[in-house]
Amino acid sequence: MTSEFVFATAQYESGDWDSAPLLPANIIDTIARYTEITVAPTGVVVPLSDDRMLRYPLLYLTGHLPVRFNEAERRNVKRFVDRGGLLFIDDHNHDIDGTFHKTATEEIARTIAPLAELPNDHPLYSAFFKFDGPPTTSHELNGWGDNLVHKHLLAVQRAGKIAVLFSNKDYSSEWSYHPESKRFLTVDNTRFAVNLVVYALTA
Amino acid sequence: MRSPRSTFELVCRLAAFGVLGWLLGGSVMSSPTRRLERASTSGIAGRVAAWTRSPPNVRLHADLTTAPDPWIVDWLAALGHSGHGVTWSGSPPAVAMGTEAVADPRGSVRVDVAAPAHTRVVLRDSASVVDSVRVSELGATIMTPLVVGDLVADVGAQRVVASAPDSAPLRSIVVVGDASWEGKFIVSALEERGWPVVARFHVAPNVDVTQGTPLVLDTNRIAAVVAIDTSVQSLGSALEHFVHEGGGLVLAGAASSASAVVSLTPGSVGARTRVVLGPADTIGLGTTGFYPVTALKSDGVILDRRPSGIAVAARRIGAGRVVQIGYDDSWRWRMAGGPGSEVAYRDWWSRVIASVAYLPGSLPRGAVTQSASAPLAHLTERLGPARPVSADRLPSAPIDQRILLGLIMIFLLMEWSSRRLRGLK
Repeated sequence: MTSEFVFATAQYESGDWDSAPLLPANIIDTIARYTEITVAPTGVVVPLSDDRMLRYPLLYLTGHLPVRFNEAERRNVKRFVDRGGLLFIDDHNHDIDGTFHKTATEEIARTIAPLAELPNDHPLYSAFFKFDGPPTTSHELNGWGDNLVHKHLLAVQRAGKIAVLFSNKDYSSEWSYHPESKRFLTVDNTRFAVNLVVYALTA
Repeated sequence: MRSPRSTFELVCRLAAFGVLGWLLGGSVMSSPTRRLERASTSGIAGRVAAWTRSPPNVRLHADLTTAPDPWIVDWLAALGHSGHGVTWSGSPPAVAMGTEAVADPRGSVRVDVAAPAHTRVVLRDSASVVDSVRVSELGATIMTPLVVGDLVADVGAQRVVASAPDSAPLRSIVVVGDASWEGKFIVSALEERGWPVVARFHVAPNVDVTQGTPLVLDTNRIAAVVAIDTSVQSLGSALEHFVHEGGGLVLAGAASSASAVVSLTPGSVGARTRVVLGPADTIGLGTTGFYPVTALKSDGVILDRRPSGIAVAARRIGAGRVVQIGYDDSWRWRMAGGPGSEVAYRDWWSRVIASVAYLPGSLPRGAVTQSASAPLAHLTERLGPARPVSADRLPSAPIDQRILLGLIMIFLLMEWSSRRLRGLK
């Protein structure tokens, strides 16, 4: 048996990296519920400035506040992507004019490469469940943020594989609830997280 | 009674006729004593043509410091078959070179040079110098991604030539296992190297994620199978047949414990050693998870050993090869190792694959024969072992016929002069 999958949340110096504290446990529950992937029962928080972040090839990063990597964070993020890691960034503001979106996309462009729209027929959307594009969240039109339904995710790709995935869908709000509450949902809204994890592990 | 002068004239005449008779006799009857001609390494190329015109009773001997070119050896062998006694002596260096295509998308060629210890080997092709290496024991191995024309190795004054093999046709690599970082990064490494990869990762009951077109296990299309874990079980008996036909099999981590491959494995799987991961720059191959290879089978070969056990072992099965790798979680080496670890990781996995990948037999693309790649062996095969010829056993050199003719002329001239001085005609 190889090592288990560990859901890792990225901690960065400049912002509120822990704005979705219930999300990791919910996603871990989803992975265990739908797949046979060996998953660690609890997630980890790993500072981007720490070399240990390289032990987790899928990193989740979110927040509302400006994202400005310090030198160590920038160096590690670049190394992480160069070596094949996948950084998933979700805009907790779901606002393309918001401070998180602007600063995070600038930071990724500076550190890795500019983000571009990810086609809705990308293998990410069929890695496990079938989607026609990024699933809409109930938070996109909640009166906060830009009040837009974002039709595409953004990504930086390396050799045809996603290296950085950027979402304005606010999955951080959509998925941040206790796993037991899934039973109240007609359709599990965390299913796209399975695609994300399966894609990261197999692509 | 004859006068002394008349006796002198008679002696001169008899001597002239005697020498003439010797010459005539020698031309009719061959001498029982064989003449010996010698040549050194530097001069032998220019002598073989003259030796061909010499009578069969001439023995030919070559004093060699290096093995001559194959055409000279073949010529000498032909002279031996035509009745000449042909021998050689000296100590040409025992040098040989072999080339083999490596199953690698970069078209690598493996060059093995056998040479005496502590000699320097300079390898070049038709374009330039490829590499040079000093031999420490019996020989050296050089990997080169590209060869232009023939390969030439200079070992001191000895030169050996070998044809470069045709590059191996590229077939797919199949990677099977549960969805995991190990499988993902092995696929990445192989793809980055240029291998076409077909991957099948188990995700959920009845759900596999596949990459590439699924293929039947056939050496016409697939060079090797990499099994990450026991899910290789799903390939069943087809895997054994594939290996017997020449396909390669890499069993990583716990894959060797799958019952479908038990008959193929070089050994058994020992208890996994878990290692506490240190700082990023200290992570390397073998510092992550480790399944030692235990109960090595009699035909298993150890390729890598660690203090905690056998790390890599190999075995031949039919026409195929199986490698069992004890290292587990090797992806950590790539992701979290020191600078350059991603390249080292890719190269290591490429070498593992190249060591087992199916390689159809191919002919050398050049016209160089085996005789040029092992000159001393060729020399010994054609002319036999070295046989020194000592100077005291050499026959005396024959007298030049021009000298004998001169003697005849002198004897006759002396007789004629004596008679003229006496007033006779």
